[in-house]
Amino acid sequence: MIEAKHIGLSINGKTLLNGVNLSVQPGTFTAIAGPNGAGKSSLLKILSHELTNYKGEVRINDVAATAYSVAQLSAVRAVLPQHSQVQFPFSVRQIVEMGRQHFKRTTKHNQELLDEVMELTGVADWANRNYLTLSGGEQQRVQLTRVLAQVWDEKTFARYVLLDEPTSSLDIAQQQLIFSLVKKACERNIGVLAIVHDLNQAVQFADQLYFMRNGAVVAQGESKTVFTKPIIEETFCCRVNVYHDPCTNCPYIVPERTTLSTLKTASV
Amino acid sequence: MSAAAITWKQQKVSTLIGILSIVLVMVALVALSIGQVTIPLKDIVLMVFYKVGLTAQQPDAVFETVLWSIRLPRIVMTILIGAALAVSGAALQGLFRNPLVEPGLIGVSSGAALAVVTLVVFGSFLFAGSALGMSLVMPVAAFAGGFAATMLVMKIGQQLGKTNIAVLILGGVAINAMAGALMGLVIFYADENQLRTFTFWTLGDLGGATWQKVLITAPVLILSSVWMLTYQFSLNAIAIGEAEAFHMGVDVERVKKSIVFFSALAVGVSVSLAGIIGFIGLVVPHLVRVIFRADNRLVLPASLLGGPILLLLADLLARTLVAPTELPIGVVTALIGAPFFIFLLVRANHKNEFTR
Repeated sequence: MIEAKHIGLSINGKTLLNGVNLSVQPGTFTAIAGPNGAGKSSLLKILSHELTNYKGEVRINDVAATAYSVAQLSAVRAVLPQHSQVQFPFSVRQIVEMGRQHFKRTTKHNQELLDEVMELTGVADWANRNYLTLSGGEQQRVQLTRVLAQVWDEKTFARYVLLDEPTSSLDIAQQQLIFSLVKKACERNIGVLAIVHDLNQAVQFADQLYFMRNGAVVAQGESKTVFTKPIIEETFCCRVNVYHDPCTNCPYIVPERTTLSTLKTASV
Repeated sequence: MSAAAITWKQQKVSTLIGILSIVLVMVALVALSIGQVTIPLKDIVLMVFYKVGLTAQQPDAVFETVLWSIRLPRIVMTILIGAALAVSGAALQGLFRNPLVEPGLIGVSSGAALAVVTLVVFGSFLFAGSALGMSLVMPVAAFAGGFAATMLVMKIGQQLGKTNIAVLILGGVAINAMAGALMGLVIFYADENQLRTFTFWTLGDLGGATWQKVLITAPVLILSSVWMLTYQFSLNAIAIGEAEAFHMGVDVERVKKSIVFFSALAVGVSVSLAGIIGFIGLVVPHLVRVIFRADNRLVLPASLLGGPILLLLADLLARTLVAPTELPIGVVTALIGAPFFIFLLVRANHKNEFTR
């Protein structure tokens, strides 16, 4: 389990996070939703130990995150940042391989695992293509493949995948595909934490849902129970209507028209 | 892309390295053979056999002197410097995630040259003409100068704990200009004799090679060049992004410090031997990427071999084109390198490869 307790963060005197508690269970998909600037990405950076100047404590599998070396951390958690800018013309397979290069496993095992993950995410056909010539959505899928490959090995301990808006540049079919893949990862004793912008997707796929606003958690709990009109309106300062879709057996929202003035008055 | 190019791009690392090694040996033999006195290959082989005691047949005395005291140390030094410059360039390009970086651009070369020139002009009393003392202190000064300049450029490029490449390169331009100006100032105080060495430092010269210099600096050059090869995996990860590399288990800060340190060491010592030789560090890694691929597991070792090949060829031109005198090696590498650099920039415009 990744457990964050009383997380606080301020940069240049501005408080970005305040008293945030969060946990990610292995085998489950936890999503964080919230307006821009709510501190979601900062929280993710703290959980991945990229930011270290925070207050509070992060424990991964019951060991303080500070006790892990950089290499040890890479064995328990993989991270997909919002944008990855690759400067050199690597092939798709080389990019995915990089997720595995720090593991002292036999090459054959590594290659099989790479083939398996690439097959699963559907990037196997482009293995020899130049990454720079792929479309944004394709690049994102390659990066996700790299991230999954890093923690795909069955281990005695739980692993985690932290995703910062994994579907931001994808069309709806690709988005659904990515989330289904992420759910598959959960079956391998992997805990997934994702920042998700599309609330309908969040509730459709996530087991646990956190709503954040102004550096604090507004509500948390099982997705379908916290996905309510009052909580969403409070989080986003936006009038919404919540309906139920009988086909997917999921609630969904339709936001109402928002003007700048309603945003301003609500946030005061 | 032609079929040949595709087969090149898919060759195994070991195959390509093997081919490059053979090319390097052949180029080195040609470089040994051609010069003011042309020595036939069979005499070179004969002399090697004689030196290791395989044959008692005495080689030609003139050939022996030319080969053993002049050409061989020069070739060995050229190989060491070519390797050091090219690997440093490849490692720095990988580290800064920018294919336009070269050791000269981040101040290593000019910092080292400034330190050496200052030492030559103001520090000669320190050794009172002792050549050994000079050849020991010079590399140290060059390294210190190169390292200080690079650290300064790195500091300028640091913003909010991250390296801002655009600022870093601008900082490099500023530091280079500063070092150039200071060098001019030092030269102002130099006497006639020292003045003549100015071209040596700013345009490079491989002609001053002696066994003594080579033996003193070889361990440092070999160690730092080979040590940088060990970062090929880390540099691959850094190519995706510093944060991403950290997520994949790379201690990015440590890699950064080591590479800057060892490239300053390699380039600084090279400058102390042969002055500033531009463009090798930029062009060689590029050629490897264009001809083969961008994987640092290939780019670094291939640069280690490609650097010497290119520098040997450039040196061959430098000492044969205007024989019996020599062109400064920096003139030759820049004459080949600058148009190539422009070609890269223009091509980048089309392919949008280097933007941001």
